[in-house]
Amino acid sequence: MQSANMLLKKIVRSSVLPVAAQHEMKRDLFPLSRTLSLSLCLKQDNSCKPSEKLDLDAWKKVMKSGLQEEVSETVSEPQELSSLAAARETVEMWRLAGKLVPENVSEEQLKTFMECPSKSAKKKYLKFLYLKELYKKNDKRKMEEKRERKLEPQEQTSKTDETKKSPFLSLWASTMDKAYNWRAAQSMIFGQPLVFDMSYEKEMSVREVANTVKQLVQSEGCNRRAVDPFHIHLCNFKDDSLYHREFLKHYKEAWGKLLITVTEQCYTEVFPKDKLIYLTADSPKVMKTFDHDKIYIVGSMVDKSIKTGVSLARAKRLGLETAALPLDKYLLWNTGGKNLTLDQMVNILLTLKDTADWKKALEFVPKRKYHGFVTKPVSELKKTLDLVNTLKLRKRQEEVQKQFAKNYPKKYKLKQK
Amino acid sequence: MALFSQTSHWGFQALLRKCHMFWPVSRCLAASFSIPTREKINYFSFMTSSSTALPVDPKETGVLPTEKRSEIDCKEEKGWDEETKEIPEGKHHFSSSVGAAKKWSMSPVVSRHKFTNVQPPEKPLQSEEWNRLRENFQLPEIFEELMLNSMIRCNSPIDVAKSLLTHVAKRNGDIAYNVLVKYLTLCVQQGQVSEIRDVYDIMKVRFKILEIGAYNLFIKGLSNSDQWRMALTLLEEVKKIMIPSRTSYESCIKAASCHQEMKLAFELYHEMLTKDVVPTLDVLQSFFDFGKGMKGAELQKELFGILLYLRENQIYPHETFMRSIKLWFESIPGRSWRGHLTNIKDSGQCPVCNHQLEDSNLTEEEYNNLSERIIRDVIHGTDTFRKTSPQEFEAFQTFVENRLPFDIVIDGLNVSHIKPRRMHCENHLPVYLVASVLDKKETLLDAINCLAKDNVRLLVLGRKHMMINSSNWKREIMKEMQNKADFFFAENISDDDAFLLYATLRSGKHCKFVTRDFLRDHKACLSDSLTRHLFRKWQRGHQIVLSSSGDGKRINFLPAFQYDCVVQTTGDTWHIPYKDVFEEKYSYQVPRKWLCIQQK
Repeated sequence: MQSANMLLKKIVRSSVLPVAAQHEMKRDLFPLSRTLSLSLCLKQDNSCKPSEKLDLDAWKKVMKSGLQEEVSETVSEPQELSSLAAARETVEMWRLAGKLVPENVSEEQLKTFMECPSKSAKKKYLKFLYLKELYKKNDKRKMEEKRERKLEPQEQTSKTDETKKSPFLSLWASTMDKAYNWRAAQSMIFGQPLVFDMSYEKEMSVREVANTVKQLVQSEGCNRRAVDPFHIHLCNFKDDSLYHREFLKHYKEAWGKLLITVTEQCYTEVFPKDKLIYLTADSPKVMKTFDHDKIYIVGSMVDKSIKTGVSLARAKRLGLETAALPLDKYLLWNTGGKNLTLDQMVNILLTLKDTADWKKALEFVPKRKYHGFVTKPVSELKKTLDLVNTLKLRKRQEEVQKQFAKNYPKKYKLKQK
Repeated sequence: MALFSQTSHWGFQALLRKCHMFWPVSRCLAASFSIPTREKINYFSFMTSSSTALPVDPKETGVLPTEKRSEIDCKEEKGWDEETKEIPEGKHHFSSSVGAAKKWSMSPVVSRHKFTNVQPPEKPLQSEEWNRLRENFQLPEIFEELMLNSMIRCNSPIDVAKSLLTHVAKRNGDIAYNVLVKYLTLCVQQGQVSEIRDVYDIMKVRFKILEIGAYNLFIKGLSNSDQWRMALTLLEEVKKIMIPSRTSYESCIKAASCHQEMKLAFELYHEMLTKDVVPTLDVLQSFFDFGKGMKGAELQKELFGILLYLRENQIYPHETFMRSIKLWFESIPGRSWRGHLTNIKDSGQCPVCNHQLEDSNLTEEEYNNLSERIIRDVIHGTDTFRKTSPQEFEAFQTFVENRLPFDIVIDGLNVSHIKPRRMHCENHLPVYLVASVLDKKETLLDAINCLAKDNVRLLVLGRKHMMINSSNWKREIMKEMQNKADFFFAENISDDDAFLLYATLRSGKHCKFVTRDFLRDHKACLSDSLTRHLFRKWQRGHQIVLSSSGDGKRINFLPAFQYDCVVQTTGDTWHIPYKDVFEEKYSYQVPRKWLCIQQK
């Protein structure tokens, strides 16, 4: 009924359409005949006046005719949607509108989406999900490609099936794990402690906590593989906190077997106060050398919205010594925050511990954040940098010319002659 | 024209950008590198020639069917090494580019905006012609969208877009939502009301629920037509999904007031205020524009309400808005309002009507409220240790209580860092970075000498490192200063600004403070806008700003405002500060121009 009404309304309202078109519209209700008639029309058009008699409103008819069956469906549906379904519809519409929206959204994600306080928060969350989905898809694709590639050589090797003689059984991974664990066990007894302060849960959002734990897991991995690992302490660690739950997600049953010390106590209760040094980017003191008798504390915090002075405040409250990495002294800083990720910190500290070489240690600072290492006073360095740039540019130009010559050999030669 | 390989192009870009980054560092604005002119010209003309010019005459297909083109046609401003967010959808192309990031093949979604313009045709095309164009385009799957985008940009005739849609409909038997929305944008841009209606009918049937972008377009398009009531019904529909945007409200309100439905317009306006949607200045202006010459006490009351809204939120109308206000006042029948543009003297007296403007003092209640909030949010915040420590704050409190009241509180370090104006910098640079032209102690001493007249009680806030005898802070001079003023030295890692605010507020209404800091970060610590406005008002009335003269020899004082710079009324006069449209205004700047309106 409604569809008919719609059509009637349309016909009455559209003064644009000539009568002939209306006739056509009736014919258009039969999708099969439509294409025929249209193509006929077109042919006739082309024969008499090209592009003059193009029916510009044909798309509307096509849209409507395609809708006939759907209309009856939508009418029968209840108009009031549940809030969840409405949210799903909204997400779907955004996807159609070309926004970055994931293809599949779970119930849980929808609920999170609905709880987002503002429109921009909603958009950001959907974009995050979209990217996550994309990463997943790509990983899957790569895995499949890998599998295919693996299958090919296997066929070849099966022909030449010769086991090489070797004194070792190839049990690399597990053997390595054992060796690492021995080392870690040794560090538990004799190693230098390194403390992670786990008291920042309140200052962080759920996502930030998840990121923190990811970084901690990476740090622990780097530490385990080091020649001389630290004895890692997680202090102020509350059972059943968000941290704990995230750790369990990552480590699962291995959480109980990790060779690190996890304690609810504060580091001030575990170690003598005068030996503790709190590492924080806000510290006024700059670390000169790595001290093997001191116990360094790193705050386990990811602050996406940069909150200055939070960890410095902790250290002040407990009256601890603080230190910052000498980034400005050794690096010509370019951009980005001076607060590094936890795994970068651990890598830097491990390198310092083994080599005491700042330059080598600060290799772990992301390359995008600095231009280069400081070897001379900063003012001189700037001059040389400018010089380097001009030289680079010149070099670049030569390259460009070469490329040009490659692309247009004949022309170029002509020019030269 | 030369087509360089992409790698050198990007490398070049990256280098160019790097050099850009160096300018502020090296402070040499004369380019620190030189490109021989020929290369330069080549390079830039290469950029322009890389745009895909789809021919107007469809018979010539001038599109290069090369893969190279898709690699070249990215916008120049975006460097590859900044595009870390791109994730490959298809296969990788690894290019051995020097220093640049890997070249990803672009996912359609991300790359959508990265193509240079396609030239839309001028006349409607036949399906075959569209087909030809599409097949020669490097990414056929997003051809329609890009084509419509450029039509919107060039404001092409609507028939051209229609012919494209017809072609799409014939090819697929359906038109995608985003293409429809793009077409709708074009219709709204050209005010094609009947087309907007048609698209609406099609969309309503085709989709269960529309997305907010389309609704906004419909509302905008219909509100400018004689079908504006439909825009209102659409607004109701939007409310079911989410809070409508301020522009939607703007369109509806303008439509209503345009059709003399003032009551309706004001209903919408109040509704938007209750939903915490900030009205655009255009909306407020339209009320005055359409209210011209209309009688009615109700209307006047509402418009006065808008002026008070400006007052409460410390909004300054721009010049055209101010003119609308002036004209409306002068058009009120039976009341002979007269408006004059003027500048207010420093004393706060209006030269036109000799009326003394409101002073910027807070009421007792506001004062206490602000003091409490400063202590709670700015000084303590989430952790007292972040800006100070409890012991230190307590020591400071007793120090202040024992010596109350001060007349002027000075931020010692800030004042000692006065630099010539050309090194204009607003942020706190660490002490060792500032090559101060003036000697620090001298500056502070001068400032203290300037301010210390007959029995004025001074408090200077500093940090402990000032007490250590050094070239910057000679002991004798410090002694001399301490004879003239009270000094309080905070810890070196404490925040002295918070102490400054506290001491000034504790001393009472007459007390002023001296710093060049705009105190933005402290304002941001206050959680609600009302308190922030209070803070700004108090700051305007109590902050003395120092500046050095051009040669850096003398110090000038910009005194605190005697009067409060907000929209104000006495019943038979109105004083409205306004800003020039072109003038950039920061939250700490106040306009100097005023509109004075008085009843004869």
